[in-house]
Amino acid sequence: MTDETNPTTGQGHVLVVDDDDDMLGLLQRWLEGAGFEVTAARSGDEALRALVTTLPDLVVTDLYMEGMDGLTLVARVHEDNALMPVIMLSGHAQIPDAVKATHLGTSAFLTKPVDKDELVAEIARHIRPRRPEGGRAFARSLVYCSDVMAELLEQAELVAQGDVTVFISGETGTGKEVLARAIHEASPRHAHPFIGVNCGAIPEQLLESELFGHEKGAFTGANNKHEGLFLAASNGTLFLDEIGDMPLDLQVKLLRVLQDFEVRPVGSTRSYPVNVRIISATHNNLEALVANGEFREDLYYRLNVVPLHMPRLAERPEDIPLLLEHFLATHARKTGAARKRFAPDAVAYLAGAAWPGNIRQLVNAVELCATLTKGDIIPLHMAQKALREEPARLKTLKDAKAEFEHNYLVSVLRISEGNVANAARIAGRNRTEFYKLLNQYDLDPASFRASAVDK
Amino acid sequence: MSDRITVEVEADLEDLVPVFLDNRHKDVARLGELLEAADYTAIRKIGHSLKGVGGGYGFDPITDLGAEIESAALAGDAATIRDARARLADYLGRVDVVFTE
Repeated sequence: MTDETNPTTGQGHVLVVDDDDDMLGLLQRWLEGAGFEVTAARSGDEALRALVTTLPDLVVTDLYMEGMDGLTLVARVHEDNALMPVIMLSGHAQIPDAVKATHLGTSAFLTKPVDKDELVAEIARHIRPRRPEGGRAFARSLVYCSDVMAELLEQAELVAQGDVTVFISGETGTGKEVLARAIHEASPRHAHPFIGVNCGAIPEQLLESELFGHEKGAFTGANNKHEGLFLAASNGTLFLDEIGDMPLDLQVKLLRVLQDFEVRPVGSTRSYPVNVRIISATHNNLEALVANGEFREDLYYRLNVVPLHMPRLAERPEDIPLLLEHFLATHARKTGAARKRFAPDAVAYLAGAAWPGNIRQLVNAVELCATLTKGDIIPLHMAQKALREEPARLKTLKDAKAEFEHNYLVSVLRISEGNVANAARIAGRNRTEFYKLLNQYDLDPASFRASAVDK
Repeated sequence: MSDRITVEVEADLEDLVPVFLDNRHKDVARLGELLEAADYTAIRKIGHSLKGVGGGYGFDPITDLGAEIESAALAGDAATIRDARARLADYLGRVDVVFTE
């Protein structure tokens, strides 16, 4: 009973499976009356065929059927659709059946005779209507189904078309850089560089040089001219992450660049025209920083032309199951192992968690669970363990130090344009030590030389 | 003992009810055959099916009779099955359906 020219919006599409015609007809009538689009199948095989042609948002199936039974159907459905919610109906109220069904991926288990309202309520609880197909080519890299994200991306897509300066606020780990990249990709500048810089990760002294460039001899170790990121991003997009961490004296200089559309490298008497689109971001409350004098108000207004806000993960729990699936698939690709799934109660648990570390924390939790679980299905207790043991700040001290060192080395290599002698001098280390460090982080100085840079 | 039994059924199901009742008559006939053959497995299936579907259409007694038939079949209790079958036939003969919004 699907009408291809007028897809139902909102409620969702349910596939109903039962080998009893009277039951099948009843369920279909009930669910259509409740506003769902319904496809009916008389057997497990028919259901699997229907799945290929009309991808539903949820499956309701009888447990005991001629031919393929409900449990087998669940397993087969999940082979290709790991997160498809399945509700099982059975005339027997046996607990072991229900427990087994849940472990094998059933979202809910109802006994027959089924009460219509109860069934509709369970479906509403578990269904995850897809985004309309063919909507939003923008930001394909972002995984979501929630309204809050849909609205955000609608706005983001609008501003992407132009050149307007965008400011992205949001907690750490919410995906601000991912959004910035998506905006760049959808903009007229997409064929030109997207360059991101974390203003909080680069030592102050190097940040100015990194952004605006420097002349040869501008400071000890600056044996070559370095063009700086504003110029390197010419015609493209410059993403200033953690802008709240930028020191005040640099803020002044940044403001000048944004007003004059010119940049003057450190130690230079010349100015160069600048043609970049600016996207900045911070987890800080920039208004508060302005209020207590840590951030310049005029710069704030210059940056905050179009504000976008990335919600906390906990503000969009309906996206969590999709994100879990996405990162499980990523993990499987990375490790070459078979893709695992979270048990439905684990998914429910994770969807209700607080996630202070947002998506970054979620990624780590998924990897921890996938790594530590031997079988295909990640149980609830593993999900609980992952949340208990992963602190919001995910790194160990060792990891944090390593990340800082890595970022530092990259900056120094950029500034010295791959000249190791100069880089070592800037870093205050002898050349041998410096090479050792580069090896440790798998950094190749050759890739920082001007001729090697891919524009 | 021929009092009519009025059953209210949602108007949504109006076109499904005739088929439903017809199938229940067929079940009664089939149960007779199966009793002759003492095929309790097949009888159990019919009972199970009646149990699952009766109440949904608005015919709670059909659910109850189905449950009774199912348990009796598990126990191989032909007498109870025969009795329940008779009551089912009687019920079907006396039922009048009224459709409500």
